[in-house]
Amino acid sequence: MRDNYLAKWLNDELTEAELAEFKKSEAFETYQKIKESAAQLDSPKFDIDKAWKAINQNKRVEETKVFILSPFKKFLRVAAVVAILLTGSFFYLSTLDESFVTAYAENKFISLPDTSEVILNAESELAFNEKKWNTNRNVNLEGEAYFKVAKGKKFTVETSEGLVTVLGTQFNVENRKDYFKVTCYEGLVSITINGEETKLPAGNSLLKINGNSTLSKAIVHGKPSWLSKESSFKSIPLHYVLDELQRQYNIEVSTKNINTSQLYTGSFNHENLDLALKSISVPLQIKFNLDGNKVLFYAEETP
Amino acid sequence: MVKSNLLKTNQELNVCDDLVYKRVFNETSKTIFNYIYYKFGNEEKANDAVQEAFVKLWENCTKVSPEKAKAYLYTVANNLYLNVIKAEKVRLKYADATLKTTYESPEFIMEENQFKEKLDNALNSLPENQRTTFLLNRIDGKKYAEIAEIEGVSVKAIEKRMHLALKSLREQIDGIC
Repeated sequence: MRDNYLAKWLNDELTEAELAEFKKSEAFETYQKIKESAAQLDSPKFDIDKAWKAINQNKRVEETKVFILSPFKKFLRVAAVVAILLTGSFFYLSTLDESFVTAYAENKFISLPDTSEVILNAESELAFNEKKWNTNRNVNLEGEAYFKVAKGKKFTVETSEGLVTVLGTQFNVENRKDYFKVTCYEGLVSITINGEETKLPAGNSLLKINGNSTLSKAIVHGKPSWLSKESSFKSIPLHYVLDELQRQYNIEVSTKNINTSQLYTGSFNHENLDLALKSISVPLQIKFNLDGNKVLFYAEETP
Repeated sequence: MVKSNLLKTNQELNVCDDLVYKRVFNETSKTIFNYIYYKFGNEEKANDAVQEAFVKLWENCTKVSPEKAKAYLYTVANNLYLNVIKAEKVRLKYADATLKTTYESPEFIMEENQFKEKLDNALNSLPENQRTTFLLNRIDGKKYAEIAEIEGVSVKAIEKRMHLALKSLREQIDGIC
């Protein structure tokens, strides 16, 4: 007999000869009975609809579970993003420049990390990077500031007009519209404009108006006059003087029938507007009219 | 041609598709139920296995292709009771398939019933894998190849189990051992 002939018999795979031989065996009768009796067996009833319903319920339970969890997961996701943004922006911001801004009629005293001092005049902005300060004493300036630089490595003031480089000294940088002036009060200042370097010894100032630079002796009292609340000018076109007046008093200045490019020499005080207006108008023989925070300069009528 | 087209569309469909899922359920749930029942003789376990297998299939419907769904279901059902102590005494109850409207003599019926009882006892004392194979074939009409797929073994192994099952059933019934 073949291997597993019983299995083959149940599966009707036996040859006739094999079947005949099998039928002769004494066990055949029982096998036949088993086959017949087993045909009447049945499995217990399986309620397929009930099972289907239960599965769909279980499916829904699974889904609801996910639903309950998801807001928290969402929250975690948001929290993670916020945390990353916060740390990221913290590191990013710490590499950014520190900056100081003054408004009209405002001065600011700034102490730099190496005890260098900066006094920022009205409507000016100074920025520097505190992180890199040790290797790079570099400040950005817009407007006017007076510097008292501690001795040390090269100290550079970057302006839109040019670079002012020193090692340790006192100097003033004024960078207004079309007006660039550096005055050196102590030591030696190097000014680079368009790659051209100019050395400025103490007691001198460099003035560049409308692209023309002039070197001149400065009236040096050891400090720029604006620090003692006075703005002084020497042969400066009037409109720059009026701009400065606007900045110091936060007023609006307008003119009528006046040549604003005429040169002005003199100074005005920062604390008394009436006196300041007179300081400007009297030498030029013009009149002014003050109305609130508006000032009109006009030509004296010649009858 | 038509058939291969049909097959193709079936393959493209996902088990997540309700229709495909329902079809797999209708085709397979009863077999899973019986399969686990033959193993353990426990309807509750069999029902649980059906639930477990189909919920798992649903959860993983994107990962299981429709062709692999059956094999997946059997594997889940099988694994579910891997750690169940097999020593539990199995007592299967078999619903009677035939309605009793026979014109046989009372003695014959009695003899029949006696034989049936012997068969029941013999079946219950069979090793689980032999009993499962025998009953899947006899009751569910599963081909040896199909049983091989369910059990994850070769057809030859199923034939062997079948042979041994018959052999030991007969020996028990005839009181040889």
